[in-house]
Amino acid sequence: MAPTIHYYCPCQSGELLQTPPPPHMASSSASFHLLHSLFFCEECDAVRCNRCVAVEVSGYYCPNCLFEVPSASVRAEKNRCARNCFSCPICRSTLQVVASDPPDGGDGRPSASLSNVGEPPFFLYCNHCRWDSAEVGITFEKPTGLAAQLQKFEDSAPESLEFERLKEHFEPFLPAASAALARDVPGVGKYNPLARSRVGRDRTANKDEMPEYKSRMEISVLGQLGSEGDDSDVDALRRMENVEEIASLEQRWGNSWTTSLRTSDLKPLRIPLHSKVSKRCPTCRHILIKPEQKAQSVRYKIKLVAANYLPAITVGIPHASGTDTARRPQTKATGVSDDRNAGILTAGKSYPFHLALTNPLYDPIQVRLSVQRMHVTAVTDGTAPEKARRTPFAVSLPTSPFPVAAFAEAWEYDDDDDMFGLEDDDLGLDVGRSRDRDGKGKIKAVGVLEKRANVTVVGGEVVIGKEARGHVKFNMLVSYTYRSDDPLPSEDGAGTPSRTVVKSPEVKTFTFYTVVDLGPILPREEKIDPDI
Amino acid sequence: MEAPVYYSKAEFIETDTGNKVSRRATIAGPQNIILGGKTIISSSAIIRGDLRRTGPGHAVVISLGRYCLVGEGCVMRPPYKTYRGNFNYYPMKIGDYVHIGANTVVEAATIGNHVVIGKNCVIGKFTIIKDCAQVADNTVIPPNTVIPALALFAGSPGYNPEGILVGRFVEDLPESTQEMVESQTKQYYSRFQPLDR
Repeated sequence: MAPTIHYYCPCQSGELLQTPPPPHMASSSASFHLLHSLFFCEECDAVRCNRCVAVEVSGYYCPNCLFEVPSASVRAEKNRCARNCFSCPICRSTLQVVASDPPDGGDGRPSASLSNVGEPPFFLYCNHCRWDSAEVGITFEKPTGLAAQLQKFEDSAPESLEFERLKEHFEPFLPAASAALARDVPGVGKYNPLARSRVGRDRTANKDEMPEYKSRMEISVLGQLGSEGDDSDVDALRRMENVEEIASLEQRWGNSWTTSLRTSDLKPLRIPLHSKVSKRCPTCRHILIKPEQKAQSVRYKIKLVAANYLPAITVGIPHASGTDTARRPQTKATGVSDDRNAGILTAGKSYPFHLALTNPLYDPIQVRLSVQRMHVTAVTDGTAPEKARRTPFAVSLPTSPFPVAAFAEAWEYDDDDDMFGLEDDDLGLDVGRSRDRDGKGKIKAVGVLEKRANVTVVGGEVVIGKEARGHVKFNMLVSYTYRSDDPLPSEDGAGTPSRTVVKSPEVKTFTFYTVVDLGPILPREEKIDPDI
Repeated sequence: MEAPVYYSKAEFIETDTGNKVSRRATIAGPQNIILGGKTIISSSAIIRGDLRRTGPGHAVVISLGRYCLVGEGCVMRPPYKTYRGNFNYYPMKIGDYVHIGANTVVEAATIGNHVVIGKNCVIGKFTIIKDCAQVADNTVIPPNTVIPALALFAGSPGYNPEGILVGRFVEDLPESTQEMVESQTKQYYSRFQPLDR
């Protein structure tokens, strides 16, 4: 397993930027995310994740025909595609509208169809499991507007009619009820547009003035319609020969209303719509993500992702990837890296590791790394011996701040051609040499190893205790200073403790936590691998 | 920076536009195949440019964009159907920054830009994959499926712990997928280095 790094989003714990949970707890994973899945709010100067952003639907589309459905018709069409998109009730793949075979031309070969669309009746056919809708008696005279015909079935189901009636019955009370809810529960009014519009003119409609609801039909009658668990089901079960005759839960629970247990009764499903969403910061309500209107466009009008603000960090363990490449060109050429002993750390040894920091900003940054203390009593982030005793491993990182050069578009263009030369040198000479030195006397394992373009590679070292178990996983505090474009001296302090003014108001510091996982520790006594 | 992926210099042919094609790959009908540049065709891949539309004249059967990767043992075969009594093959168009994992069979009609397809997949006939979509490893995509932009598809009939019978929608991908895939595919190309020995 390759070493990984995840970034911390403070939303799971109440206050702003406090220390993340200990990395070894399984529940901690909820607070750590990959950099590319995080957002960044410029107003709050804080990292946001998918768990904490407020999501709003900005448009609906059918995932099959990619038609953008206006939100007005979404409701009427019951959130499903109203064109010709159906999924197979058996396997959920897309159904195709097919025509019947053309009439036999007499010579044993089907004659070419005269009409453009084929011969009626039309039916739906699954290319994957070969189910077709003629099996359940659904055929069509025309190959168009099939959804409307099927929706008629759905809407005439007794449950659907009952639900419509219920909605009708409660409609007049809804504004009053939601106003009451907004009054009683703080915060609800803010999120409920219906309540917000009505809350001003308080009609003080008494909730108890509701007339009694008369159901459309008696519940006992509904039971006799053969929905669930009646005698006919028992009969069918008695005669059942294989388990496939009963529709699986997976096949049935996507339906809105109770359906028959039998697989042979399953109906084609109109495909549920998907939505494009915009995302807002949970505290300041500023938009972080706003997609373009077009459903299949992958561009965004607003896109504030953390990858554009925080330095991207990649972790590597040189002993795992760099050693055997020259000796084993065959395995490398086939693209299968020899990862049998890669990424395995043996207890009682020390390993160097690399952190490559990439600066996405147009200004150079100064980065300072430090390891979060495991215990309050552990004093430094260095390889203090007393800490090594307490924790299964000790991590040393460069203690002084180091620069990462600014990002420039130009590197984007010439990396195609120039990177080969650079890379060969780096990997062939620099890494190789530093490895040699590592072997002899640990010269320069910790510190800045390499600077190129907007990337700075720093080395760290981990000393693993003899009795260590589990993963080498530690929280790392990253703080970087950058030159700010707009000095906002009045704004820091209250609400933004993560940003503090250092020296001149032009320079700002941003701090965030990450968790680095260098991989599992191989216990000492279990040295099975002959390569180690 | 990740370690380079070495290949033997003798095995690959590099074109002027930077395409790297393995001599061990089976390229049928090369005159009907377009590679956009900096595209890698791995060894033992099979690309069926010979399955062209019937009729006279030149026809592009398979076109791949820039920075694509066709993994080892992949089969790229244009889709076919019988339409109004005539059997025909239809062209396959693949955009830029598309990675296709090892041993995957592709019979798609269109694959957009920034698409990542995993290992051991089957992409059924006439599948349309939109931009920035991804297909997980070991997925079976049934014929005529449309994979919308920024969607992750997974699932197969052989292995379905959650009862997923065919490859279908699992989740939306992050908004920065485009940048991610672009830098990954570019990086892969620059890591793909010859070794003389």
